[in-house]
Amino acid sequence: MTEFYFLRCTPTDILRQIAQQRAVTRRNFLRSAAMAGAANQLLGFAPLRAVALPQGQKTVVVTFGGGARDEETFAPEGQGNIPHLMNELIPQATFFTQVVNRGILGHYVATASLATGVYERFDNFADVAPKNPTVFEYFRKGLGRPANDAWVIAPSNGFNRIGQSDGTQFAGGLGAQVILPKRLLASALGKSSTNSPGLEFVLQDNYEDLLFRPASVQSEVQLAKLTEMLHLSVDDFVHHAKTLASADELSVYVMRQVMRQFAPSLLWITLHDMDIAHTGAYSLYLEGIRRTDRLCAEIWRMIETDPEYKGRTTMLVLPDFGRDSDLNASGNGFQHHRTGDPLSRTTWMMAMGPRVRPNRTVDRPLDSLDLVPTLGAMMDFATPFAKGKPIVEVL
Amino acid sequence: MKPSDLRAESFADYSPRARALAAENLNVFKRMPLLLLALVLRQVTQYDWSFPAEREQLLLQLNCLSHMDAASFESLMSSFSVIPFATELTKIDWVNHPQRFSEQLTANLWSQHQIDSYHSAAQKYQQYLQKALPETLLAAPRWTIVVIGSGVQQTEYPLFRRLMPHGTLFTQLDPKGGLDTLMAEVRSRILRYPLEYGHWYIDGGEPHSAAREKQGLTTMSYARLVPAAKREFDLLNQFTGRTSLNGTVGVEAVSSYIAGLSPEDLQLKGNAADAPLRHFEVNLLTQGAGCQIFSTTFVQWAARECLHRAQPLTLFARFATRQSNAPMEQLLMRDPLRQPQDKEGSLIDADMGAYYCWINQSRLPGAEQSRFLVWFEDHSLACAIAPTLPRGNDYYYTRNHTTSFGLDGLNMFDSLKGRRSQNSLRPPSPPGGYPTASHLNSAT
Repeated sequence: MTEFYFLRCTPTDILRQIAQQRAVTRRNFLRSAAMAGAANQLLGFAPLRAVALPQGQKTVVVTFGGGARDEETFAPEGQGNIPHLMNELIPQATFFTQVVNRGILGHYVATASLATGVYERFDNFADVAPKNPTVFEYFRKGLGRPANDAWVIAPSNGFNRIGQSDGTQFAGGLGAQVILPKRLLASALGKSSTNSPGLEFVLQDNYEDLLFRPASVQSEVQLAKLTEMLHLSVDDFVHHAKTLASADELSVYVMRQVMRQFAPSLLWITLHDMDIAHTGAYSLYLEGIRRTDRLCAEIWRMIETDPEYKGRTTMLVLPDFGRDSDLNASGNGFQHHRTGDPLSRTTWMMAMGPRVRPNRTVDRPLDSLDLVPTLGAMMDFATPFAKGKPIVEVL
Repeated sequence: MKPSDLRAESFADYSPRARALAAENLNVFKRMPLLLLALVLRQVTQYDWSFPAEREQLLLQLNCLSHMDAASFESLMSSFSVIPFATELTKIDWVNHPQRFSEQLTANLWSQHQIDSYHSAAQKYQQYLQKALPETLLAAPRWTIVVIGSGVQQTEYPLFRRLMPHGTLFTQLDPKGGLDTLMAEVRSRILRYPLEYGHWYIDGGEPHSAAREKQGLTTMSYARLVPAAKREFDLLNQFTGRTSLNGTVGVEAVSSYIAGLSPEDLQLKGNAADAPLRHFEVNLLTQGAGCQIFSTTFVQWAARECLHRAQPLTLFARFATRQSNAPMEQLLMRDPLRQPQDKEGSLIDADMGAYYCWINQSRLPGAEQSRFLVWFEDHSLACAIAPTLPRGNDYYYTRNHTTSFGLDGLNMFDSLKGRRSQNSLRPPSPPGGYPTASHLNSAT
């Protein structure tokens, strides 16, 4: 909702000072990161482009549906929330400090835009497929890959249509397999001899509009098929789910099953826990960030310990967008992402894998739409309808 | 319908004072672009139960617009006029439902990638008004007092980290009787500066005894409003149950339904004199996210809206503990006052909430002279921000220079005046950066 909050308010010197300090903080971080990159150029290995690529290149994309601001992540005061990203992943990664999302800042529509390479314009809460072809369709069509070679693991209702476009520009039937783990668990509970207590947090729903409950979307037939495809023992699945603390942990658990069962070449997972920020509880938002940080490291460990993935997988990690600035008068700080201010539109990306140079920082601004053409260039398939440009630093 | 089609009769369904105001400003309304007019009409429709500061601001704004020459007026409106939007939106009854129009307009502007143009136009309009409208003169500097951490014995969380650069950290206050001292100061200000809706008390639990039924003090508390929040959820469930029989209920339909709820719908009772407060409470519960389920969110959001709308001379906001987290379905169903409490999480929420209170106070007229105090309840730690106090990370006031909290009109705001360079204000740098509350308490 847009309105002129604090219409008569005067931006005081005090607020200007804060804004300036924020900018300085960000610059300091960028400078320190850039210095690490410069040192790497002098002392590190040359780029690996000349090395023969391993056969069976795979890509894992991790997005955060929930947005994470600099203050709580990569700015100095936020780095304590992301020890795994800071200490384990960034030293192995090329880190892009500015990724700008110019589209609609709703999680489903923004993630769909990431997946199509075009800023989609549909209602974020509508049960619709992206209008433009998805990266999964480009991948399967371009490389002639079977259905089980492209999977999406998505967090909440509404994402079930993300695997395939609406067919207006691309023939149907080439989309990704899409799993909504919570729906899968809910279905399994219906068949399990185990009761559901203890699973409440794992079944947590979306936060984007607290008073709105989207309709359930994945059919029982689909769910039964997925359970069978993943060779999940219903009781084991439910029992294991009870050891987990959140929906994102369930998503990562399901991701592991998909990797073991199908080892897809293109695997996309969207994490969502940190979107609890919409309740306004800052401590819960921080908890979500810390869990996401831990899960990102866990995903990379899964990749590096799985023979099908180890040594031939590129992982890309990026939030779909940020959250509102503390200083934007029409927002309420971290709670939402409604203002469209620069902080809510600007985020980051890290890339890691055998083809990506480690410990490098890239300051030039990227566009969110650059992801799809980059995936196409990395994996050698065409993305004719996608906007944006391939990110040369990871090719 | 276009703005130029407006007639006095168009506002027949408005409440009496709003109707009169609309008729008086009809000529201005007819010349305004619909994008802006809908926002102004949202304020007009609420006029009868607006706070004095809101009424004053709206009247000043309309008076300013009505006295502009044609060329200046057109120029000011031009940035809105050029923004395209879907023509079907004009079919909405935007006169009687300006909020519904604004919500659908916002969605349309996002989808058409025009939201940035809209924000830019709004900013330009706002800047014009800031220059054109007379500065509000306050009876005294504005005070905001925030109390956080009720019931928390110790913490490792670095409290007041965001506020410290702008004020002075007090580390050896005597906490005994702190709440009473602060409330006494609030009472004193009420007597010295009697203003309708000029002094507020907002509590995340039950209100302090000194705040109950105190004349001249507008008191709100989460505990008192929980029944209204539960009523809101009940009504929402009934609505979605009814409408889902005809298909899926869209988010816009839910938003419009909630926006239409009245104090009577939420069973908020009172008299005509406090109608603005009851409407304010409804707005909080229907427009805020999370304030129904978490008391910490309630205090932060209520303080924000209070500062924004009522522009009080004194605000006392006291955070309490919130219920522990649970799945949303449970949070929406259960009684938040009878659940296990998350004390540490509440303290972290409140620390951020205090920072937002200061930011929002800083947006108001007279910000340069405003005083802000945040206190870790029942502890020796506080942070004060005032033009009379030193600012910056390095300035800690550790000497036990007063025997009780504040004294004589919270003289901490003046006690350090001119003493910035004294050694007593410069203790050795704390180990490991900013001090945590437990670290500071253990040192006392």
